[in-house]
Amino acid sequence: MPAAATITCLVVDDQQTIRSLVRSGLQELGFKAIHEAVDGEEGLRQMLSRPISLVISDFNMPKLDGLGLLRAVRAHPPIQKTAFIMLTGRADKDLVQRAVQFGVNNYLVKPFTVATLKEKIEAVFGILQ
Amino acid sequence: MDPLAAIRETFFQECEEQLAELESGLLAMEAGDADSETINAVFRAVHSIKGGAGAFSLEALVRFAHVFETSLDEMRSGRLASSDGVVKTLLRAADVLADHVRAAHDGSSIDEAHTAELAEELKALGPEGGDTSESEEDWGDFSFQPLSAAAPAAPATAGWRVRFKPRADLYAKANEAALLLRELGRLGETEVALDDSGLPDLADLDPEAAYLAWTVTLTGDADETAVREVFEFVDGDCELEVEPIVADGGSAGAPADLGEPEIPTTEPDGNLDIGVLLARVQAAAAPQAPPEVPSGAPAPAAAATLAEPSPQDGQGPSRKPEAGATIRVDLERVDRLIDLVGELVINQAMLSQRVMEAGFARASGVAMGLDELEQLTREIQDSVMAIRAQPVKSVFQRMPRLVREVAAMTGKPVRLVTEGEGTEVDKTVIERLADPLTHMIRNAIDHGLESPEKREAAGKPAEGVVRLTAAHRSGRIVIEVADDGGGINRERVKSIAAERGLIAADAALSDEEIDNLIFMPGFSTASTVSDISGRGVGMDVVKRSIQALGGRIAIASRPGKGSTFTMSLPLTLAVLDGMVVSVQGQTLVAPITAIVETLLPKAGDVHSLGGHARVIAIRDSYTPLIDVGMALGYRTTPLDATQGVALLIEGEGGARAALLVDAIQGQRQVVIKSLEANYRQVPGVAAATILGDGRVALILDIDTIVAVSRGADSLRAEKRLAATG
Repeated sequence: MPAAATITCLVVDDQQTIRSLVRSGLQELGFKAIHEAVDGEEGLRQMLSRPISLVISDFNMPKLDGLGLLRAVRAHPPIQKTAFIMLTGRADKDLVQRAVQFGVNNYLVKPFTVATLKEKIEAVFGILQ
Repeated sequence: MDPLAAIRETFFQECEEQLAELESGLLAMEAGDADSETINAVFRAVHSIKGGAGAFSLEALVRFAHVFETSLDEMRSGRLASSDGVVKTLLRAADVLADHVRAAHDGSSIDEAHTAELAEELKALGPEGGDTSESEEDWGDFSFQPLSAAAPAAPATAGWRVRFKPRADLYAKANEAALLLRELGRLGETEVALDDSGLPDLADLDPEAAYLAWTVTLTGDADETAVREVFEFVDGDCELEVEPIVADGGSAGAPADLGEPEIPTTEPDGNLDIGVLLARVQAAAAPQAPPEVPSGAPAPAAAATLAEPSPQDGQGPSRKPEAGATIRVDLERVDRLIDLVGELVINQAMLSQRVMEAGFARASGVAMGLDELEQLTREIQDSVMAIRAQPVKSVFQRMPRLVREVAAMTGKPVRLVTEGEGTEVDKTVIERLADPLTHMIRNAIDHGLESPEKREAAGKPAEGVVRLTAAHRSGRIVIEVADDGGGINRERVKSIAAERGLIAADAALSDEEIDNLIFMPGFSTASTVSDISGRGVGMDVVKRSIQALGGRIAIASRPGKGSTFTMSLPLTLAVLDGMVVSVQGQTLVAPITAIVETLLPKAGDVHSLGGHARVIAIRDSYTPLIDVGMALGYRTTPLDATQGVALLIEGEGGARAALLVDAIQGQRQVVIKSLEANYRQVPGVAAATILGDGRVALILDIDTIVAVSRGADSLRAEKRLAATG
C-alpha cells in the first residue's frame, strides 16, 4: 500500500494539454512529485538524472515515441524496473499488444477520468493510501 | 480561473499551433516535398487535437477529427498514396477542422452540411471497411508486466550499498558470513570493506560473540529483492541495511549486459537502436553523431563506438535546435517596460543636452561616458521593442486558406507563394495587418488574375500566382502583395473615375496617377459587386488602415504582367519619425509619413479666398493652405505665408493640403506618449512627446487639422474625433 505522495511520477507527452490533465489527475490522487517531459528523449534524460518510480507516457510523440521510451527504459538496468503506463489516443489493440510485449505495466486510453487513472495506477502499485 | 478552465485555454492555444503545423505539413505534401516525418507530424497534429477535444467532451470536434485521423493513418501506413486530389481534400478537411476548433472555443456555429460532405470525402479515401475503431471491451486480457515488490519506491539505481553485521546467533546457527558475501558477489561486481572497529582487546574477546561488520558495494542490475534474498535465511540474526546507489546522469556506463534477455528482440522497431539512444541521451550536453550501426550489432558495441567521435561523420547530423525556452508575460508588463525605456531615452537625451550646455568638451570623459550611455540606451530600446515583435507568420499563415476559398469561388487556379514569414514586427501592427492583407489578396485573385482561358490565350500558365512577401528595409517592414495577372486596366479605371466624378473626363493623368485612382474613396472597378471583393470596402479603406499604422502603400502595375502593392510600415508604434517644427514659439511634431514635400511659399503662389482661407499653387494645382498656428489657436492673425514653411501633406483618402508653420527644426525619432492617458483628447493633436531639452511637444493629428480647417463639415470632423477616441 504505497502512499501516492511517495511515488515520483514522470508525465511524458508532447501536448501541454494532456500533461496538465494527467498532472491535475495525479494531484487529485495525492501525488506530490510530478515531473513532465515533452518527448521520449527528454523523458529518458530525466529518468537518468533523477529517481522516477512511475512513468505515464503518451504513445505518439516526435523524436522518440512511447514505445521507444519503454524499450529504452526496459533495456537500461538502473531504470528498468520503473513502472510504465502507456497513454494511447485511441483504442488500438495492436499497439497495446506491442507495449505488453515490451513490458508495459498498464495502459490508459484518452480521454480518461480520474477514476480510471486511479484504477490503472492501483493495478500496478496496489491500492493507494 | 479554475484549473480545468485554464487547461482548456491551453488546449485551444495548442490547437492553433497544431492547426498551423497541419496546414504547413499538408502544403509541403502538396508541393511534393514531404517525407514520412511530415506525414507523421500531420497525423500527430490531428491526433492531438482529437485527444485533447475528447478530454473536454467536444463531441463534434472529436467526431470530425476521428474521420480525418483515420484517412491520415491510411496515408501514414502507405495504404493511401498522396496525390494532388487527396491532398486537396485533406487541406479542405483541415479548414473544416479549424472551423470546428473555433466553434468549440467561441461557440460559433458550424456548417453541418459542409462538415458532412467532407467527412464523406474523407471516408471515401479509405480504409475499405470504413471506421476501424474498436471499443476497448473486446480486447480480452493483456498480461501486463507485474511490478516487482520493491519497485514502487525503487529509484533508478546503479547498484546497492549493503551493510551487513551478523549477530552471535547467526554463527550459532552454523551460518557463515563469508558464504553470504560470496553469494552477494554473484549478483554483480562487489567491493567488500571490513569494519573491525567493534573488535575488543584480545583479553576481552568473547569467542562466541560477533564483532565484525561488512559494507559491500554492489554494482550491477540486481534489484533490491535479489539482494535481500541472499540474507533470507539469516533474517533476524543480523543487522542489514540495503541502500541504493543512485545513478548519476553523467556516468556513461551502460553496463556490459545491456542486451536484456527479457526484452523481445524478434520485432525490431523501426531503426531505433536503444544503445545508441541511451548513450546519446546520457551525453546530452555534447551534440552527438549516432554512428551507423548494423541493425544486428549488439547494443554494447554501439555504445562503445559512440564513446569516440566517429571519423566518417564529420559534421554530425543536422539535429534541430531545441525549441527555445519561452515564458509567457503579460502584455501590460511589457508595455510598462517599453514606456519606462521611453522615459530613459528622453532622460538620456536631456542629460546629454545639459552636459553640452555646461560647456564640457566632446572629448571630455563626461561627454564620452554619455556617448556610451546613449549607445546602451538605444540598444536597450531596440531589445525591449523586440519583445513586442513577432514574426508576420501568424498573419501570413491565415492566407493559404483564404486563397483556397477565393480560388474555389472564382474558379481560378491560384498558387500562393509566401516569403519572409520570419520577418518581425510589432504585435499590434501584425494584428491590424490581417484585414488589409485579406482584402488585398482577395482583390489580387478576383480582379488581378485573369480567367484560366484568358491566361492561356496570353501564353501564361493557367495557374495564377499571388506572391506575399515581407522584408525589413531601412528600419521599416515592407510587405508586398503581387499577382501575375493582367495588370491594371488603365482605360477602364480612368473612365470609371470620370463616371464617378472623381476626375474631369479630359484630365491628363500619368499612368501612376491613374493607378492611384483605385485608392480614392468610392472607387470600385467591379461592375457587379462580387461576393468576394465587394464587401463594402475598397482600396481606400485598405490605404486608410495602413496609414493609421503610420504606413504607406504604393502600387506598381505593368499591363499583361501583373500588379504589385507595396506597403511600408513602421516596426513599432511606440516611436515615430517626426518632423519637428515651430509655430508661434511652440514646438510641434508632424509625422513624416504624411509629409510629401516641404516648400517655401512665394508671395505670388498664395491666394486668399476671403476670410482666412488661402490656397497655394503648387505645380498648377491649388492646394488649401492651413496655418497650423491658427488651427490650434496659437494666434489669431494668420502668418504671412512667405515668412514660413509649407509642409505638403497627404491625409486620409488622398486629400492634400499644405500646412504652414514658422520654421523647421529638424527630423528625429520621437517616443509617443498618449495625451489621452495623461490629460485628455485634444482636437488636432494625436499624442505628445518629450524632446531632448525636456520640453513637451505635441504630435499633430494631420487628418483632423485638415478636416477642421477646410471647414468641410466641422461637425462631422468632431464626430470622427469622438469615434477615434
